[in-house]
Amino acid sequence: MSLELIRDILVATVPLLLIFPTLFAFTTWLERKALARIQNRIGPNKVGVPLTRYGGRFSLFGLGQPMADGIKMLFKENIVPRDADRLFHLLAPILALIPAMLVLCFLPIDFPWINNIQDSVKAFMLDGAVIFFFAITGLNTLAVFMAGWASRNKYSLLGGMRAIAQMVSYEIPLVLSAVIVVMMVGSLNAAEIANAQAGWNWFIFTPWGLAAFIIFFIAALAETNRSPFDLPEAESEIIAGYFTEYSGFKFALFFLGEYIAMFAISGLAVTLFLGGGAGPGVAALPWLSVIWFLVKIFALIAVMIWLRGTLPRLRVDQLMGFAWKFLLPLSILNIFIAGSALHLLAGGRLAGLDEKQPILRQLMEGANPLVVAGLWIGALLILYVAANGLNQLSRAKVRPREYKYAE
Amino acid sequence: MSLLGGGIFKGMAVTLRNFVGSYFYKDRLTTNDYSWRPSDKLPQHAGEYPKEEGEQLRDTTTVTNYSRNFPMLLHDGSEPMDTIRCVACQICERECPPQCIYIEKSTEKKENAGGKPQFYPAKFDIDVSVCMSCQICVEVCPFDAIVMNSQFELSTPDRFGGLLLRRDDLLKSNDYYHNIHPEEAAARDKRIAEEKAAKEAKKKAAAEAARKKAEEKAKADAEASEGTPDIQEDAE
Repeated sequence: MSLELIRDILVATVPLLLIFPTLFAFTTWLERKALARIQNRIGPNKVGVPLTRYGGRFSLFGLGQPMADGIKMLFKENIVPRDADRLFHLLAPILALIPAMLVLCFLPIDFPWINNIQDSVKAFMLDGAVIFFFAITGLNTLAVFMAGWASRNKYSLLGGMRAIAQMVSYEIPLVLSAVIVVMMVGSLNAAEIANAQAGWNWFIFTPWGLAAFIIFFIAALAETNRSPFDLPEAESEIIAGYFTEYSGFKFALFFLGEYIAMFAISGLAVTLFLGGGAGPGVAALPWLSVIWFLVKIFALIAVMIWLRGTLPRLRVDQLMGFAWKFLLPLSILNIFIAGSALHLLAGGRLAGLDEKQPILRQLMEGANPLVVAGLWIGALLILYVAANGLNQLSRAKVRPREYKYAE
Repeated sequence: MSLLGGGIFKGMAVTLRNFVGSYFYKDRLTTNDYSWRPSDKLPQHAGEYPKEEGEQLRDTTTVTNYSRNFPMLLHDGSEPMDTIRCVACQICERECPPQCIYIEKSTEKKENAGGKPQFYPAKFDIDVSVCMSCQICVEVCPFDAIVMNSQFELSTPDRFGGLLLRRDDLLKSNDYYHNIHPEEAAARDKRIAEEKAAKEAKKKAAAEAARKKAEEKAKADAEASEGTPDIQEDAE
């Protein structure tokens, strides 16, 4: 391994390991603040600049809170239950963090320093980047169950079992909705997918892309155990789920891993549907694409926080029913719609396409505007009607409450 | 057909209104800020708010029209035990999911507000540390005797005795109920009055029917005694 290669690898990875944990700290503050305001509270507002008393004058809206939390976590006692499997109890939080950190490399963010390094160390230039992303995030399930099993605690085990059922179920609509984008681009390369949406050609602006984005976002909420799908760590039911028996820095690692996974999956949603780094002014100032990418990630995270403050938790049967009876058929139907639409747009030209160029853009060139408009409206209608029908079919039957003694 | 997922957007609009509103309207923020107060002005336990000059304290019994916390027992008049609605039927005790209600039935009957001799609870305890505020006792009560109170500041230094509410702590007048939950109380009173009126009408109708029947019977008897053979055959 040459010295240059090592340097390039470090340049490609180390900044990510600094930037995203910093953003994580900021996000915890943002989340606590936003949730507090949603509930008409104030939220953290005391901790400000370290080592100054009378924090009121330098409290900066409580921005010092994440730092105080971090210090507290570092100094807390590390408690391991007597009967726990010590090795796996230690490994689980590490295994939860590693895949989350690893997939950050697959986000096609054009950091200025990344232009000078060779393409072979850029993970998002990999020809199967999207597949790799899903493969690696799947590891998270293992970590969660490992934590639940190794703790030797019934609440942890219940949380782990719930997590497995949930993550395995929602992985399928997640991947199937990403397939739509792969069909429109004709590539699994993350950078090519982002480039195919340059300008305002974002895939969310196509009917099947919009439906796929909504399915993807819902499934992503479930994959990252966010409310309203936070059953594996449902505080009011099973204490803290799989990390009931974790304390101190191990708990902090879980927490960090969860938020990094949120960043990663939001980043993938931005890459697939929201145009990657595309946005106004990018053509003139290329560094703006980094800003746009992060802004889009934060917009998605803000919606996640907003939903957390709005929706109550689902029941287990509602959760599984929603994945298998609603999202899965809808995403399969969506693939058929996207395929037929592309076929109709092509009108026999599919064989003559350039493999190196995004498929949808080639098809749109020279397409009849009337056909395009008809396709758009028709696809939207079919999707809406199908979603409504599936909703009616998949809805859990509600019975009135039965009393044992009262009449 | 309503828009699919429209409820989510409606809910999000509510939370957004809260989020934005809390920055502009001070009275939305319900929390008191103690952080930089001298220690002698800090509360000793929750529920005991220190008052500084010019500071408005909130009336904790009337938080909002829709807050529900723990159950209370209703009585109608000024003397709680003479007009208590509860007849110690113990349905709520058996239906309570966490089993936090304990009732002891009285041995003798006593006249209630309606002037009817009824049993009454000699003991009616609710352990508020166990109660989960599900309101099922309210739903099952056939006498409208138990309803939800909105008082929430029940913290106490005595964690056993202080959290076990006795019958006399739970008894609240119907006026108090009207004060804290005006809409619900009015609807309940209206329903009770309607049910009562319906019952009385039924009773009246039954009495009327009985009277009519008796009259007819008397008439028929009188006719039978006159002794026309045709009518007698018809009657058979």
